[in-house]
Amino acid sequence: MTTSGTDTGPPRPTGTPPTGAPPAGRGGAGPARRRRSARPDRKAWTFLAPFLAVYLFAMILPIGYAVHQSLLKVERSGPLGLGEPSVAFAGLDNYALALEQTAFLESFGRVLLFGAVQVPVMLLLALVLALLLDQVKDRWAGLLRATYFLPYGVPGVIATLLWGFLYVPGISPVTDLLGKLDVQPDFLGYDNVLWSIANIVVWEFTGYNMLVIVAQLKSIPEELYEAARIDGAGPWETALRIKLPLVRPALVLTCVFSIIGTMQLFAEPLVLKRLAPAVTSDYTPNLSAYFDAFGNANVHLAAAKSVLLAAVAMVLSFTFLSLVNRKRRDGR
Amino acid sequence: MPTRRTLLAATTAAAASPALAACGEQAGAARMTRQAHRAPGERVNLVFWTWVPLQKAVALWNKLHPDIHVTVQTVPANTSGGYQKMHASLKAGDPPDLAQVEYYALPEFMLVRGLTDLTAYGADRLKKHYVDWQWQQGVFAGRTYAIPQGSGPMGFFYRADLYDNWDLEVPRTWDEFRQAARKIKKRSGGESFVTAFPPVNAQWFASFPWQRGAHWVRTEGDTWIVDLTDEKTRQVADFWDGMVRDKLVAPLQDSQSSFFKGLQTGQLAGWLGAQWQDALLRGNAPGTKGRWRVAELPQWERGEHASANWGGSATAILQGTRHPAQALKFAHWLNTDLRSIELLVAAGYGWPSAELELAGSPLDKPDPFFGGQVYNEVFRTSDRNVDTSWRFAPTTTQSYAHIQDNIGRAVAGHGTLQQALADAQGMFVDDLQAKGLDARSAR
Repeated sequence: MTTSGTDTGPPRPTGTPPTGAPPAGRGGAGPARRRRSARPDRKAWTFLAPFLAVYLFAMILPIGYAVHQSLLKVERSGPLGLGEPSVAFAGLDNYALALEQTAFLESFGRVLLFGAVQVPVMLLLALVLALLLDQVKDRWAGLLRATYFLPYGVPGVIATLLWGFLYVPGISPVTDLLGKLDVQPDFLGYDNVLWSIANIVVWEFTGYNMLVIVAQLKSIPEELYEAARIDGAGPWETALRIKLPLVRPALVLTCVFSIIGTMQLFAEPLVLKRLAPAVTSDYTPNLSAYFDAFGNANVHLAAAKSVLLAAVAMVLSFTFLSLVNRKRRDGR
Repeated sequence: MPTRRTLLAATTAAAASPALAACGEQAGAARMTRQAHRAPGERVNLVFWTWVPLQKAVALWNKLHPDIHVTVQTVPANTSGGYQKMHASLKAGDPPDLAQVEYYALPEFMLVRGLTDLTAYGADRLKKHYVDWQWQQGVFAGRTYAIPQGSGPMGFFYRADLYDNWDLEVPRTWDEFRQAARKIKKRSGGESFVTAFPPVNAQWFASFPWQRGAHWVRTEGDTWIVDLTDEKTRQVADFWDGMVRDKLVAPLQDSQSSFFKGLQTGQLAGWLGAQWQDALLRGNAPGTKGRWRVAELPQWERGEHASANWGGSATAILQGTRHPAQALKFAHWLNTDLRSIELLVAAGYGWPSAELELAGSPLDKPDPFFGGQVYNEVFRTSDRNVDTSWRFAPTTTQSYAHIQDNIGRAVAGHGTLQQALADAQGMFVDDLQAKGLDARSAR
């Protein structure tokens, strides 16, 4: 193995970096500046209109409605409060109430712990699978890719039902087999059920994340590999020093999606709740909001909890993104 | 993913909110009941959401009443999704005409104005056909809001053949129950248990303090008072704590596959359950036919007949229907017509709310599944001894969820049942207060 390339850092492509780098010089030439005019013209708005319409209807309006609902409360009157109720402005009462509920706050701790373990495990698995698939010949790659991706096509509820059968003692062949070996796993116990859910989520989403990374791998130009080969890089070096840095944007993307997905954990614990006493009605922030809205018919408190959840997810996503970006800037 | 633009919009909406608060917002049901005009001969269609298998009775109604057609739509049972769906439909202003609502959930539906005031449609003259305490479950501030269907007096189902094998007497008191539990565990080599203890079933658990004479909820003036820590409840909690700690009960969640497997295999030599579970036993452990018997609940004082109720539901006419008079007519027929009751009893719907003589009624039959025992005689005694002053708060779904979350944790070895209930008491009060109600703990 030659060392010429390796001890001077990763081989860098001579062209533009793969991710949006700032333009080389400041100020640029006149025509370029005109092209990058800040104000989109009428044609641009026409093209944007369909997107904006759907965005307004499906994103902004519901969020505004949720915020609106979260600032209201029901006022009761009459004997035992069962008289004619009315809706009144509540200010931040619902937020205060939500933040006073320890079970609700604990649910954030739970999903954060869940995310801190599950997201790295899943992404590492997805990355390894993607890198391996990249090495496999095309004929098999397609089949394997489809196989790994298949669980993503199974709805979360169905996946949880399937896994549920594998978790319940007395029904599950897994616990039966392990029982014969004198291991008595309690997949649905208080200390384990969170990781049983994590297992389901990993099973569901690894293939999806793998596919995102595979797509990024495919976009790496062949010349880079040639250059690496000429520099004497073997498969390991190619993977670690070429592929890994170049799939970074895909990893960042999947990581942000996973963080948001983790915060919104809902279907899996809801379905598993019927099998596992350990899954309480405040197990995740989303479950808590759901039971307030529909189990307890308190939409205003549920709206406040949803807004809080959205805020936390947003803060986490942006914190992650800014950390990643700062690191990249520092790295330059 | 939220962007800066979303944030901006959210802030704008937030700022505009106080101004909007007063207009267009309704507490609870979005549409109020109104009787639609009906042309002569016009057929009325009613939609009925339920999880009780009462299709046969409804089919009979449809045959007898071609002008009022009822369509049954099966929804998930109660809090597994049925009530969630009903609340959402009320909020959306698009509810079914009729719905299955359990007694404990009626106050919650009252709180969202989800029930039609039936007094306005002449329900009060039907009162005499029903068992009074069941009728009272649907009465709020002197007006009637639901037609009762059936209740669930508690009893002790046990395997007579296994008790004979092990040379055991059927326990009459809770002390004997504990001794029987020990002997069963010993004589079966640890294979069998006196009963299951579902870790997360607050309704089931509540029936024992109820039997003891506790009152978890009461009212003083306009204040709701929650009491999960009185001496009677603590005594009951202590008893079950010991049973769970000594592993004398099987920690199986009822009506789950492992529970039914326990019934089939004899892992469960008995079950403390409600009358309506006769059908569950029959349907899920058909191989044990003839081996079951029913006895009264074990007692705290020898010779008493104290009992409790678990379950029981009403046929509610939801707020927003356009045919309240026809819906009321159907609900009354469903729950009092003898032909209907016969079909409902066969479907295992519970102890009838209709005022019936047991003798000659569909309940008065020796049952081969119970070895020819007229087991409903036991439940009649139980039904007559239910303390009917037990009340349900308007946050029962949520508060009982807290209670069972806590009980589940205790059963898994984290703390005692007493502590679990004491913790749940605070949450119970919070739930009531979060709804804008006056509430406090009893101590």
